[in-house]
Amino acid sequence: MTGPHEKPLLDVNDLAVEFDTYGGTVKAVRGVSFSVEAGKTLAIVGESGCGKSVTVQALMGLVPMPPGRLTAGTAKLRGHDILRTTQIDGRDFRGSEIGMIFQDPMTSLNPTMTIGRQIAETLEVHLGWSRKQSFARAIELLELARIPEAEQRARQYPFEFSGGMLQRAMIAMAIACEPAILIADEPTTALDVTIQAQLLDLMADMQARNGTAIILITHDLGVVARMADKVAVMYAGQVVEMGSVDDIFYRSAHPYTVGLRAAMPSNDSSARHRLLPIEGSPPDLFAPPSGCAYAARCPHAMRICTEVEPPAFQTGPGHYGRCWLHHEGVAGAAETLRGMQPALRTEPGDAAGPNREEKA
Amino acid sequence: MWRYTLTRLLQGIITIWFIATATFLAMHAVPGNPLAGDKAMTAEIQANLEAKYGLDKPVSQQYLIYMGNLMRGDLGISYTQKNREVNDIIREHFPVSATLGIIAIIFAALGGVLFGALTALYRNKWPDTVIMLMVIVGISVPSFVIAAFAQLALVRINGALGFSLLPVAGWGTVAHMIVPSLVLGLGTMAYLTRLMRSSMLEIVNSDYIRTANAKGLPATRIFTHHQLRNAILPVVTVLGPAIAAITTGGFVVELVFAIPGLGRYFVQAVQQLDYTVIMGTTVFFGAFLVLMVIAVDLLYGWIDPRVRLN
Amino acid sequence: MTMNSSPDPALMPGAFAPIAREQSVHRLSRPSLSYWQDAWFRLKANRRAILSLWIIIAMLLFTVLGPLFWRVDPAAQDLQQISSPPGANRSVVIVEPYRPWAEAPAAPSEPGLDVAAPPTTQQVRLVWTPMPGAADYRVYRNIVPVKQGGALGVPLGTSGSADVTHYEDRMDLKPGVAFYSVLALDANGAALPAVFTRRIEVANAITLAEAKARAMVKADDGLGVGDQIQYRLHPLGTDYLGRDMLARLMQGARVSLFIGIVAPTIFVLFGVLYGSMAGFLGGRIDQVMMRFADFVIALPFLLFMILFKIAFGIGPGESGILPMIVAMVILLWPATARLVRGQILQVREEAYVNAARLLGARTNYLVLRHMIPNTFGVILVTLTFAIPSAIFTEAFLSFIGMGVAPPTASWGSMSNDGIKSMLISPHELFLPALMISITVLAFNLLGDGLRDALDAKMRSRE
Repeated sequence: MTGPHEKPLLDVNDLAVEFDTYGGTVKAVRGVSFSVEAGKTLAIVGESGCGKSVTVQALMGLVPMPPGRLTAGTAKLRGHDILRTTQIDGRDFRGSEIGMIFQDPMTSLNPTMTIGRQIAETLEVHLGWSRKQSFARAIELLELARIPEAEQRARQYPFEFSGGMLQRAMIAMAIACEPAILIADEPTTALDVTIQAQLLDLMADMQARNGTAIILITHDLGVVARMADKVAVMYAGQVVEMGSVDDIFYRSAHPYTVGLRAAMPSNDSSARHRLLPIEGSPPDLFAPPSGCAYAARCPHAMRICTEVEPPAFQTGPGHYGRCWLHHEGVAGAAETLRGMQPALRTEPGDAAGPNREEKA
Repeated sequence: MWRYTLTRLLQGIITIWFIATATFLAMHAVPGNPLAGDKAMTAEIQANLEAKYGLDKPVSQQYLIYMGNLMRGDLGISYTQKNREVNDIIREHFPVSATLGIIAIIFAALGGVLFGALTALYRNKWPDTVIMLMVIVGISVPSFVIAAFAQLALVRINGALGFSLLPVAGWGTVAHMIVPSLVLGLGTMAYLTRLMRSSMLEIVNSDYIRTANAKGLPATRIFTHHQLRNAILPVVTVLGPAIAAITTGGFVVELVFAIPGLGRYFVQAVQQLDYTVIMGTTVFFGAFLVLMVIAVDLLYGWIDPRVRLN
Repeated sequence: MTMNSSPDPALMPGAFAPIAREQSVHRLSRPSLSYWQDAWFRLKANRRAILSLWIIIAMLLFTVLGPLFWRVDPAAQDLQQISSPPGANRSVVIVEPYRPWAEAPAAPSEPGLDVAAPPTTQQVRLVWTPMPGAADYRVYRNIVPVKQGGALGVPLGTSGSADVTHYEDRMDLKPGVAFYSVLALDANGAALPAVFTRRIEVANAITLAEAKARAMVKADDGLGVGDQIQYRLHPLGTDYLGRDMLARLMQGARVSLFIGIVAPTIFVLFGVLYGSMAGFLGGRIDQVMMRFADFVIALPFLLFMILFKIAFGIGPGESGILPMIVAMVILLWPATARLVRGQILQVREEAYVNAARLLGARTNYLVLRHMIPNTFGVILVTLTFAIPSAIFTEAFLSFIGMGVAPPTASWGSMSNDGIKSMLISPHELFLPALMISITVLAFNLLGDGLRDALDAKMRSRE
């Protein structure tokens, strides 16, 4: 995977975001760190409300402040801190350096502006191109995004597009200025499964063409397996496990990751696979627990888990887990950890999609 | 779009017919036909009325005569004034009302959009507070009270200055139009300001504004190209009712400021029970409002591509 | 990710002992609230809405209980105090009955204008020193100070000759300050430059007989000429007929609020019935019903209000509370009907209604448990907003003389009366206008608050 000496494109360190609501302060993101390398895909997974969307929105300066508040952290894009300003060398990095696509393409585009104009205006603003030049490029981008009859489509409005087509247009818009990073916030959640695959292919294509890094937010482990190089598992505003796809799927270092996997359907017909829900619900982020946030739902919880927050234990090269089970003092930890791994899956890379070989 | 226009026009014609019929029925529901009322009137007018409306004939025939006249654009003759046709009255007085109303609606629409956008931009800061106070006055004080106090203020101001800054009443010059149209537009402007404000605030939180921010567009461009245009849409949809409000609000403003408009004439006709003039102006205003609502709908379609292209 | 510096867990005894699940099961710390409880909490948090609610309650108390405490006939006329503003000076001095001014008074000791007797509303007796070259004198009265070379005010009359240097003013005297001027005239009646001006405070006066007749003094009070007594109290002043404003505002509130609350309640109810019927029956019946509603909506409302009133045979100057309510109901129901029908159709398609139906819920249950609670909020908000517009409509109609007519008072008809004397006594317009504005504002703000509190969309956003 990532070479140890490669300098990351984007380096996020100890990011923390709070929201003031009239019920109190919600600590939505609590010290998140990760890095992204050129040409690679980082997937951030976790259930709803775990802070994965807030994390990337904070990076893009999209968290409304107030009620939102940035309480700690840095995010360095090629050495420039982007958390407290959206300007790099006097221009907005958003759209030019980092492009972003959102979950619901139906509402994420301006309903009263043609698709072509919405793509072209990014080029006008960032590259200073003329209207005509930008529009011509917008048509090319739509063609790249495999939209048929791009010329006519560019003159249409969002309501004339289907959801899948709109998300293609969103991708075209996000990569218009050939950004170094593409952030995709649950890009396929609102769409049909068949369209999902097409869009993921499209994103992988774009990545291969431009060497773009992708940050993919999802709660779908299938998508993770198909797309990601590196995975960050988030729970209650923290990254609880970070590692390669294989680390996450076959050498889980955190009981939550195991729980997520057990709750995922599998096409493995040899196993009598039953979907197991994770009991309980995530902690109240108005008052996060003092110990491990997952302790209340964890089948392996120990006394310390409810009292002291676990540090990040390294369990392999580039693989970390925030779980006390990795402490040397835990008796029988090795057995517990082994028991958490899927016994029936034989080959690493089993769940990978067709693009996997190309990337390797 | 053409189909849509045609359908709307056809609906409009049916609505106008409904208004005319309802007017006719309302006037004939009175025990004893008011058109043949016992009011003291000259024999001459009486004879004219009978010849015109066939008052001796059964109601169904009268209706046909009435509709026939309407179809020819003839709204009838006055009940109290000799040889005065309703058409003449409208021709003479409506342009005044229309001028007043047009200035008022322009003022209300521009003011509403501008102030609404300002309050949303400076939310919870002093421009918001000041404008919302004005909105509260505009919404909660009846137009005739605003008109009266505006006139009172003018009298005082002119008195304090020792010369006439703006005329207190009457019609004729541009100076005469300023205060009455401001007063007339104020209530509607307040309503539109509120609408614009909430629509702006809703759009600020919308997904496509987030997208625009994620594209790194400058704040001014997001405001003009993405927020404003979409926020104006709901304002346009209520312009029809707004025009109706301004038309009827014009009655009292014309009354207070002694403006010789059709509204004031209508109120006079009501007070004198000039039935034919009341019927004629009701149908005229009704038709006018129906056409205005259609015009606003078409305008909306032109602005909103979702309507235009469907 | 870096190792954080937590205390070495090995130091805690039993740190790595497994714990039972039950022990650590997370509980939701916030209690769950029902829809209406939640709405009520939201409404209570909205200070403007709660203040408005209190204002409305106060207004209703004013209307219902006010007349019990302020027992003044709203139709009774106090002719001594016509158009008197709130807080006007009520003191009045008892004077002798009027006697003509027989003997010529002595000229003032100093040159200028003076009064020969204490000036009262019974009479003001002026006397001045002769001016050189004057053939006649003209006397003026003004309500504002006379400026050098400015207008002198109302010409009252002339003294008649150069020898007569006194004048008695009995013309419509009002208590308070008056500015009198005497201008010298030449033989041709043209003005000479010589003029005397004096500020004179005119006291309210009443004769003993009159005071007795008005029951202001009793026979055994022992009051006599020169004593101060008080006119009847009108806390908010009087109108142009000397009627008590407070009593009339209470009476007006009764009419305005009655129309403002009853008419919307009826037409909203009718609209709910019509709309839910159309929504339930659906299909062709629904289409026909809603087409008809569309037509009624297209009728220019105020014009038809007037038309209906005429059709009811209620001419201008005749009171018509009932026809006004009937006309409002006939013309205003369709908006509510449309809204309710839309809601019903929407709720009918909701997944939870389908789910309930699948579970075997009967129509009655669906209507009671799902349809009504989910449309009730919208109906309540509609009603709250319909009330101020009905009050406005009443005021508008009364203003153009088509609403409530004398002697019945409504806030609208009081404004209409007040506008005529607006320049001299603004309180006659200001007070009823203020009542209308406060009530309308309170209902509007309460409606805003209710809408925000009941809006589920806003709730999910927070």
